[in-house]
Amino acid sequence: MQELRELAKKLLAEGAVKVVVGYAEGRQGVRPIFAATPEDADKLIFDPRCVQNLATYLSPRRAHVAALGKLAVVVKGCDAMAAAGMIREAQRKRDDFVLIGVRCGGVLADPRASAAVTEATVAARCPGCEVREPKIVDHLLGPLPPAPPGASALDARIAELDAMTPEERFAFWTSELAKCVRCNACREICPMCFCVRCVCDKSQPQWIESSPHARGNLAWHMTRALHQAGRCVGCGECERACPVGIPLSLLNRKVARVVAERFDYVVSDDPEKPAPIGTYRLEDDQEFIR
Amino acid sequence: MSRIGVFVCHCGENIGRTVDVARVAEAMRGLPGVAHAVDYKYMCSDPGQAMIKQAIAEKQLTGVVVAACSPHMHEKTFRRAAAGGGINPFLCEMANVREHCSWIHEDREKATEKAIDITRMIVEKVKRNAPLTTIRIPVERRALVIGGGIAGIQAALDIADGGREVVLVEKEPSIGGHMSQLSETFPTLDCSQCILTPRMVEVFQHPRIKLLTYSEVESVEGYIGNFKVKIRKKARSIDESKCNGCGECQKTCPNRRIPSEFDQGLGKRTAIYVPFPQAVPNLPVIDREKCSYFRGKAKGSKKEVCGKCRAACGRGAILFDQEDSFVEEKVGAIVVATGYRLYEIGKEQDSELLKGYGEYGYGTIPDVIDGLQFERLASASGPTSGAIQRPSDGKVPKRIVFLQCIGSRDPAKGIEYCSKICCMYVAKHTMLYRHKVHDGQATVFYMDIRANGKGYDEFVRRAIEEDGARYVRGRVSRMYRDGDVIKVLGYDTVNGTPLSIDADMVVLATAMRPQPGIQGLAQKLSVSYDKHGFINEAHPKLRPVETNTAGVYVAGACQSPRDIPDSVAMASAAASKVLGLFSNEELEREPTVAVVNADLCTGCFHCERVCAYGAITRKEIRDRNGNLVKVVADVNKGVCQGCGTCQATCPSKSLELAGFTDDQIYAAINAFAEL
Repeated sequence: MQELRELAKKLLAEGAVKVVVGYAEGRQGVRPIFAATPEDADKLIFDPRCVQNLATYLSPRRAHVAALGKLAVVVKGCDAMAAAGMIREAQRKRDDFVLIGVRCGGVLADPRASAAVTEATVAARCPGCEVREPKIVDHLLGPLPPAPPGASALDARIAELDAMTPEERFAFWTSELAKCVRCNACREICPMCFCVRCVCDKSQPQWIESSPHARGNLAWHMTRALHQAGRCVGCGECERACPVGIPLSLLNRKVARVVAERFDYVVSDDPEKPAPIGTYRLEDDQEFIR
Repeated sequence: MSRIGVFVCHCGENIGRTVDVARVAEAMRGLPGVAHAVDYKYMCSDPGQAMIKQAIAEKQLTGVVVAACSPHMHEKTFRRAAAGGGINPFLCEMANVREHCSWIHEDREKATEKAIDITRMIVEKVKRNAPLTTIRIPVERRALVIGGGIAGIQAALDIADGGREVVLVEKEPSIGGHMSQLSETFPTLDCSQCILTPRMVEVFQHPRIKLLTYSEVESVEGYIGNFKVKIRKKARSIDESKCNGCGECQKTCPNRRIPSEFDQGLGKRTAIYVPFPQAVPNLPVIDREKCSYFRGKAKGSKKEVCGKCRAACGRGAILFDQEDSFVEEKVGAIVVATGYRLYEIGKEQDSELLKGYGEYGYGTIPDVIDGLQFERLASASGPTSGAIQRPSDGKVPKRIVFLQCIGSRDPAKGIEYCSKICCMYVAKHTMLYRHKVHDGQATVFYMDIRANGKGYDEFVRRAIEEDGARYVRGRVSRMYRDGDVIKVLGYDTVNGTPLSIDADMVVLATAMRPQPGIQGLAQKLSVSYDKHGFINEAHPKLRPVETNTAGVYVAGACQSPRDIPDSVAMASAAASKVLGLFSNEELEREPTVAVVNADLCTGCFHCERVCAYGAITRKEIRDRNGNLVKVVADVNKGVCQGCGTCQATCPSKSLELAGFTDDQIYAAINAFAEL
């Protein structure tokens, strides 16, 4: 913790960055903070309650953040993957920002609790994480905590869904998506959603109906999931932001798994690794296009 | 308000038989925005086109839909007619009610309904069409010819004689290809070298031909009219400007027993060598794999192991440390003429699909040779100076057995196609043999004789009737060596009897295959090839020398087995296509290319990554003070083929295809769904 604060102060004092984006205590657990002064920097913390993906603030959509000047962002492994994704897709240049990496032992499913990371309290996405020590970062802080305990609840749930008949599965998703109020919170919070104009806002022609109706909901969530194929970093922020509790992580992870099987590609924090879209390899599995 | 004219074609009976065309026209008349709808027997005929022009003028049409055949067939015709009527040609579109409807359905009622649906969809689409202007792109009026065999030579000479510059790239140290290895050629028995060598020299001396031998195409960028080609000049280890081809270096080379590729392994060459006496250019090359100097260096020896050629060279032309160099050429058209190689019939094959003919003992019985080896034996410039001697002991063979269709027409061994030239050259071989060994007996095992060129059948008959070749219809199952004779066990399928023949030598007419590495080259050029590796032509009948990539043409045996007359004809055809392309300074292209909405483009460049043609580049958008605002995708209209892959990939739909915009497609879908 002290290490993080000292580093933030140093970066601010040296003028290397204008703002350090990190976590601080809030009224409901942990909240993001933009530290521009040494006093603010002293508020910085990092612990398993820090679930938010701060790489979102690097998104070029957030021009008001970019206007603050050069940023340093505190990133966990999943957040670092999002930063790498933005570099890979030409949204930001690596030199535009500083990444302060923190070694991570998993975060909590409910950040308002202050319990330790246990099998019962850990976020579903954390067990099995392979980027607990992000490589793309400029600074890497803290000791490596023990690995997140248990197995991923998401994987178990996907196995259940896979076991269903297509009709049952469709019924499941129809009932989940029927809840959607089209608030677009999932899109707004996602670091990898950075289109100037989202396809769901296109009105001529309107491919995706924008009112909360079964037709538009299905089209929107399918489009979103497919646009995330091979790109989603699995931070789970979309699901956390969803006011009606649609299990979006489930969808994202299932798509990621299909990408891994079909294209031998797993999202990483290496921005140089070519993404499956636009990469043609002779050994690509092609049975599905015959 | 749109005023669309719909013209429904009977196509004689092609459409009218299955589709009630009058009803289609009637249904269109009721649609909003349709000002005119008629049917006619032959819309593409002169009166049919006149109807369109007249209707545009009389009814003030803003768009035209022709419900007829495939746009591949007549879109240009009708667009021209629309332009003749005074509207932008791209406001005219076709609804395919023939291939997509009448030809594939039998039920008249349902087919008519489908034709109405198809036409209605296009009507809705055309309502949203915007006028487009043809794109004009400049043409670099120089050509690249890949391969310096007879096809490449002919194409290069024809283009150069047509007044345009040519770059001729050949991977071997000399041009000439397989034709230079042949003895006499069917059906006239003129000497191959005698007719080829003057052409080779002509290529070398032509002021408009730049000859790059011992070179290979490294990469190809760009598009028709504007290719950028990078060519690797492999290190010859010779200073071309100094060498005068005196040959002193070859005399001193101590490695004298390297099998000569030109003599098909029957003769020997040195490590520094000129492939054959008439080679063009007459410059030696060092075979670095075999040369003592390089082998010594590779082993790490400190002292120079050899270097005798360098000492012998009076002009200091030997450059041991020469490295591969690269040349970049800008060309407007490319002719692929990489030729063929022979099917190697041993057990070891480069492809798993090929099985080989281990039972024939090729490679283990020295007196079993292939057709090209026989050519070298019969050639006056060959290793035996034209004497027919068998490789094992140099004796004159008194009995030669020729086997046709080795590998060819044999799906079980991996090659289904006919190699086309074997019937003829085997007949020729029997003649050459008889002319040199008067008491010799030639026996030919054949499946059937395919001699369908001018003077070809007469030629085969001459071999049988005048030169006494014995033709046996049937296959050979096994051959083995017994003392110094080869026992050939076969079956005479005319008499229905097994046959055992003692032979002194056996010649196998092996199948023709494309050159190795053709797949890599085809991928560089974005042209397709078949499963055997032969380059695919754009259309087997109507576009035989074009490929599916505009500006890339094909000639000779890299497209399929060809004899010399066919290769030359094809090369001249390709050259005429190239010259046709070069007859204009600018090239017209369809304007149906991708268009970027720079305001909305996020610059993720997925489109750049998926574009198979490299048509997407990055464009910087700056404000009036010159500050970079953002970087967006930009489409090179000359390169874009309008395939739409970028459009499908763009997450925000900031890319659209002119003529196929989202709006248009959506309207067509809605029309179909009757929304």
